[in-house]
Amino acid sequence: MNKLVFRIGCITAFLSTTVLLNAADLTKSYEMPDASKIIKKDSLVPAKSFAMPKECISTDKNIIAIGKYIFNNLNGKNAKDKAPKGLSKFVTIDGKQKAKQYGNCVACHNIEGAVGGGNIGPDLTNYKKIFMDTKTRDNQFVYQKIADPRVDNPKTNMTINLTTKLFDEKEICALTSYVISEKKSK
Amino acid sequence: MKKILLPFAIMATMAYSGEQFAMSDADRAMYAEILENNPADIFVEEGSEFFEEIGDEEALAKFLGVSEKDLPKYIASFPRYIKKLGNVVGVDQVLQAMQIEQGKKRFKLKSENMFSMLAYVKSLANDEQFNIDITADRHIKASYALGKKTFETKRGGRGLSCLSCHSKDVIGMILRTQPLPDLGEAGTGATWPAYRMTKSSLRTLQRRFQGCMKNALLAVIPIGSKEMVGLEVYISKMSQNSKKALAIPGLKR
Ligand code: HEC
Ligand code: HEC
Repeated sequence: MNKLVFRIGCITAFLSTTVLLNAADLTKSYEMPDASKIIKKDSLVPAKSFAMPKECISTDKNIIAIGKYIFNNLNGKNAKDKAPKGLSKFVTIDGKQKAKQYGNCVACHNIEGAVGGGNIGPDLTNYKKIFMDTKTRDNQFVYQKIADPRVDNPKTNMTINLTTKLFDEKEICALTSYVISEKKSK
Repeated sequence: MKKILLPFAIMATMAYSGEQFAMSDADRAMYAEILENNPADIFVEEGSEFFEEIGDEEALAKFLGVSEKDLPKYIASFPRYIKKLGNVVGVDQVLQAMQIEQGKKRFKLKSENMFSMLAYVKSLANDEQFNIDITADRHIKASYALGKKTFETKRGGRGLSCLSCHSKDVIGMILRTQPLPDLGEAGTGATWPAYRMTKSSLRTLQRRFQGCMKNALLAVIPIGSKEMVGLEVYISKMSQNSKKALAIPGLKR
C-alpha cells in the first residue's frame, strides 16, 4: 500500500514537472525574425575594375545635364525640377512603378551651383582646372572612381555606383562628363 | 510613475544639432518649447500602464531573477543573454515573453504599444550607465561580433555600410546639411526610445537603424533579428564607453 502511494506520488511529481517544464519553455515566446537571408541577398560583390566604354566622355549639353541631374538629386520622387531628356523619374521593377534612384553625390561633395553640398568627399568645384588640366587625373580615373571607388581606395566611404547596378555605363559616363566639364561658377 | 526629466545629455545633443546647418529660427523656437515638454512623455505614461498590466517592476524583477532594487542597473545591461529565452535579447523581447507567460497576447516588436512600453521600462534605468559585459558569455560575444559585422558590411544599392557615415574619420562632417553624429559621444544608445520630431512619433533605437538603412538604400532588416539585437549591443556599448547615462525618452530632430 505504502509502495503504491509512493509510486503515485512519483508519477504526479513527474507529471507536474513536465507540465512546469513545458510552461517554462519561453524560447519561442518572443519574436526573433531571420535577417540573414535579406542581408545575403543585399550583399556586395568584391571591388571591380571597369574600362571606360568608347565615346564615353561627351560635351553634349543634354548628356551633361543628365550627369548634373543625377549628381544633385536623391531620387525621382524627391527631385523637383523636370528631368532632362533621356532620363526618367520612375522605373518599373517587378511590375511595380518605383522612383528611380539618382546619385545624390551632392550629399558628400560640393560642386559649382550645389545647394547644401556636403563635405565628406572632396570639393569638386573647379575640377577641370585643378585636376584635369594639370593631368592629376584622367577620364578613366574619374570613371572608375564613380563606378567603384574601392579599386582606388579599399576603405572608401563613397557610394558604389556601377558594381551595384544602380546605374548603367551610360549614366556613369554622363556623371563623369559632368564632373570633368567646364562649368560656370554659379 | 517615476518622473521623466529631460536630462543634460539631451540638451547637449540639442546644442550640437543646433548648429547653423540644421536649424531655422522656427525650428529653434519649436525645440525650446518641446524641451519643456517632451511629447514622448505621453507615450511613456501610456507605456507605464501597459507595464502595469503585466505586473510592473515586481514581476519584471522576478522574471529576470533579480531584486527590485537591482532592476534599474540590470535593465542598463541589456541586450544580454537570458538563459530561459535562449538568446541575447532586448528588453522588448523580455516583455513579450512575460506577456506570453501570463497568457496574454504579446505586442508586436514593431508596434507602437511595444515602443511605448519599452520606453517606459528603459526609463526606469535613467541615470544609470550601460553595464553591458561583452565578455560575459559566448552568446553576448557572438552578438557583439555580429553587430560589429553588420555595422561594417557594405551592402545595398549604393554599396554603403553604417561605417561609411559613422566612422571616426567622418564624424562632424556634413552629409547634405546634416552633421554626422558621434554615436558614442552623442549617447545614442542611451537616448532611445526617443521622440523624433521629423516623424512626429516615438521611435526606438532599432527603428532608427531602419531609418538609416532605408535612407542609404540598404535592405531594411526586421526589428528583433539577431543582427538588429547585435547592432543594439554594438551601439549601446559605444555609449557605455563614452560613459553616457541613460536618458529616456530622448528628443531628436
Ligand atoms: C557618402 C559619401 C559620398 C557620396 C554619396 C559620393 N562621394 Fe564621391 N567621394 C567621397 C569620398 C570620401 C571621396 C574621397 C576618395 C575616396 O574615398 O574614394 C570621393 C571622391 C570622389 C571623386 C575623386 C576626386 C579626386 O579626384 O580625388 C570623384 C570624381 C567623386 N567622388 C565623384 C562622385 C560622384 C559623381 C558621386 C555620385 C554618383 C559621388 N562622388 C558620391 C564620398 C562620396
Ligand atoms: C549615408 C549616410 C549614412 C549611413 C550609410 C548610415 N547613417 Fe546613421 N545617420 C546618418 C546621419 C546624417 C544621421 C544624423 C541624422 C539626424 O540628425 O537626424 C544619422 C543618425 C543615426 C542614428 C541616430 C543618432 C542619434 O542619437 O540620434 C543612428 C542610431 C544611426 N544613424 C545608425 C546607423 C546604422 C545602424 C547604420 C547602418 C545600418 C547607419 N546609421 C547608416 C547617416 C548615415
